Order: sequence, then structure tokens, then C-alpha cells
Amino acid sequence: MFSLLGGVFMGWALGANDAANVFGTAVSSKMLKFRTAAILAAIFVILGAVFSGRAGIETIQNLTNFDLHQAVISSVAAAITVTIMTAFSLPISTSQSVVGSIIGISIINRQVNFDGMGKVVACWFGTPVGCAIIAIILYKLLSVIYNRFKPNMFESDSIIRAGMIVAGSFGAYALGANNVANVTAVFVGSGTLSVFNAALIGGLSIAFGIITNGRHLMENIGKKLVKLDPFSALVVLLAVGITIHIYSIIGVPVSSSQAIIGGVLGVGIIRGVNTIKIKMLFNILIGWFLTPFVACFFALAIEFIVHLHYIPHQ
Amino acid sequence: MFSFLFKKERQVELLIYEYLDTFKLTYESFSNAMNFCFLNEISCENFEFYIKQTHKYENKITDISDEINSVMYTKALIPDSRGDIMTLLSEFDIISRLFKDILHMMQVQKLVVPGFIIQETKELVRISVECCELLTKQSIALFTNTSGIRELLSLIDTYESHCDNLERRIISMIIDSDIDWFGKLQLKELIERIGNISDGAERVSKRINIFSLKRRV
Repeated sequence: MFSLLGGVFMGWALGANDAANVFGTAVSSKMLKFRTAAILAAIFVILGAVFSGRAGIETIQNLTNFDLHQAVISSVAAAITVTIMTAFSLPISTSQSVVGSIIGISIINRQVNFDGMGKVVACWFGTPVGCAIIAIILYKLLSVIYNRFKPNMFESDSIIRAGMIVAGSFGAYALGANNVANVTAVFVGSGTLSVFNAALIGGLSIAFGIITNGRHLMENIGKKLVKLDPFSALVVLLAVGITIHIYSIIGVPVSSSQAIIGGVLGVGIIRGVNTIKIKMLFNILIGWFLTPFVACFFALAIEFIVHLHYIPHQ
Repeated sequence: MFSFLFKKERQVELLIYEYLDTFKLTYESFSNAMNFCFLNEISCENFEFYIKQTHKYENKITDISDEINSVMYTKALIPDSRGDIMTLLSEFDIISRLFKDILHMMQVQKLVVPGFIIQETKELVRISVECCELLTKQSIALFTNTSGIRELLSLIDTYESHCDNLERRIISMIIDSDIDWFGKLQLKELIERIGNISDGAERVSKRINIFSLKRRV
């Protein structure tokens, strides 16, 4: 059980960080209490992980063959990468750091599943682009419905509030389903956990992260989206939920932060407004390229360090 | 169907309509005070009554405004709408205070509008009050998400320009008259305050137009 701590820590960090992407807008704008949002997010993350997390776990565990020792190294390397990237304020993707660290282990094992890697990397590029496309389609579709019914200001507010709760819960479900693989898939690969147990432990650790450490990020990170009008913010949240859910079905863990950025860009394109600054885009690109390489480096370095032996001078 | 879930939104909606109704009563009371009593050059026993009534409505407006804010900040409506409504109500408050201040000014300073500017002043009051009426319609259009906001803005804008012209003409007539300078300054201030009503209405109208554009999907 002690060896699972690395994964649980990863899940805790993921929960604290990524729940803000699905409920941050509603909480930071005071539409929803943190406690309500945290409880909803925790419940739906666990449900998502248990009922729809299998595909992602299987993809990640098949990237290479692990033993327990390598699974722990992989988790720790990914967690260190996330911590360092966060310290440099670069947008982080736990999915990329986990896959990067697995690549490091694969290099040591000389056993890389290139088909699986190709699928994962293609999905990384597809996440923001796909979310942007979904946001554009959703915006067009929902605006037609909205303009047809023409709700008054008070009805519109009620619909948007309710929509944000539903979209947030759906996003949390998709997050649990998609990102649980980042937390415990390596332990399935090493034979330590069954898929169900991995999904349950992963889901619980993400939920634990949301409840114990999600408040600050939920109350602050979501504010960057409040610059959008409420209707656009709802569209972005729905687009993020749908995008992540699609990737859960495909079985590839993706980044909800990158999805949300794609969604914001998509809404910006359709409304003809500049929603993201060039500097922010630059940071995102750096984060995308650096994360897997840094995680791979840490996995290799940790593996090298733990195999160093003291040889007494003869 | 799900109205039971959004009681506070419904409460805010009802309070806003009550606010607009009271605003209407305020400008009607002001109009009565000005037209039926003051500008008819006759001693009107009801003038005091209209002043008290206008004051009462103005106080009620402030009370409703406070209640709306307190309901909104116990998590009714989304923050964007709360901000828009608060801005709108504070602008309406400024206009309703003008009604009360003008009547108090006339009462306290015992102002008498001379006969040579009565027609123009009546016209200024009539158009100013009409601006407020259009403003109320425009606010309802914003809250009910119905069309016509832009058209009402352009109408209020036209009325406001007309008020500006009238205001300038009346002030010129006052300055050119034989009244003593203290009286001239008193009347000039009175006319400027009446002119401020349409200026305020135009300002609020522009804001309503922006709020409506912001909500366009």
C-alpha cells in the first residue's frame, strides 16, 4: 500500500488543480458555494473514474511493461514535473507529465509501444483544437435555441446558473473518467491493482484533492473565464466536458486546462474577440513541449539514482 | 416549470418592476407639482402635497433599491447581471433625487417662474418627463429581452437635444430680462436642474443599450 502513495499524491494534486477547470467559473463568480461545488465535483469524479475510467487506464498501462518499482518512479517523476512546472507558472498537464515519465521508463525497458504513444500524442494536439471546434458548434447551436425562446434577463440568468451546475457536474464526471488513468494506471501496469481498484483509488484521491485543496484554485483560477460573457462561459464549460468525455471513450487521458484554453479560443473566434493574450499562448506552447521531456528526464534520473551502488574501494 | 428553484431571481424581478412603478409615480408626482401648481401662476394648495408625495416616492425608490441589492447579494442572479442592475438603479436614483431636489429648491427659495418663460419651462418639464417615461419602457425592454432598445435610445437622444436647446433659450431669456441678478441666477440654476433630468435619462439610456448589446447571443 505504501507504494501507492505516489499515485495518491498525484491524484490529490490533480484534483486540486483540475477541478477548478470545471467548477471554477461558477465558484469564483459566487454562483455556487465552494462546498456545494466540491461535493458535486467529488461525487462525479468518483462516478466517472469508476464507471468510465477503464479505457484510459488500459491505454496508459499498455504503453510499456512496469514492475512496481518502476510504477513508483513513474508517479514520483510525474509529480515532481507537475510541481516544477507549476512553480514556473507554466500551464501544466498531468497527462503529459505521466506519459513523459512512462516514456522514460520505456526507454530503460527498451520497450516503447509506438502505436499507443502515437495515439496519445495525436490526442494532445487534438484536445485544444477539438474543444475549440466543439465550442464553436455548441455556441452556434445554443445561440439559435436561445434566440428562438428569447428568455428574459431573469430566466436567462436562472438557465445559465442551472446550466453551469449541470456542465460542471458533467465536466467532473468526464475529468474523473479521463484523468484517473494518470493517477493509478501505472499500478495496473505493474500488476499491483486491478482496473476497478485503480479507478476507485484514483477517483477517491482526486476527490480528496478537490475537497481538501481545491478551494483556492476554484475561487481564483476561474476568474480568468469571467471576462467571457456568461453564455460563452457556459458554452466553454460544456465544450470542455464533451471534449474530455470523448477522449475518455477513446481512452486517452488529456489535459482539462488545455481543453478549456481551446474552448475559450473557439468562443473568441465566433464572437470576433481576442480572448487569450499572445504571452499566454506562448506559455501554453512552452508547457506543451517541455512537460513530457522534463518528466521523461526525471524518470530516467530517478531510475539512475536509485540504481547507484556504493562500491567499497578494494 | 422550474420556477421553485429560482425564487430569489423571481423576487428580484418583482422588486425591479415595483421599483420602475414607483419611479413612474415619482415623475408623475413631479410633473403634477410643476404643471398643475407651479407653472399655472396660481396659488395651488396641493403643491405641498405633491412635494411630500414626490419625497415619499423617492424614499421608497431608495428602500426598494436597497432591498434589490440585498436580495441580489444573497446569491440571486449571476454577477454580471447584478453589476448591470446595480449600475442602472443607482443612475435611476440620481434622476429621482433630481425631482425631489427641484421641488425642494422651489419651495425653500420661494421661486416664482416669471410669465415670459412659463411656456418654454412647461415644455422643458414635459419633454424631460417624457424622457423618463421612455426610459422606463427601455428598461422593461432590457429586462424582458424585447426589441426596440436602440430605437428608444435614439428617441431619448432626440428629446435630450431638444431639451438642451430649450434650456439654452430659457437661460438667454432670463439673462436678457429685467429681473435682478440674484433672481436671474436662482432661475438659471432651476432651469439647469430641470435640464439635468433629460441628460440623466440619456446617460441611463446609453447604458441600457450597452447592457443589451453585451447580452446579445
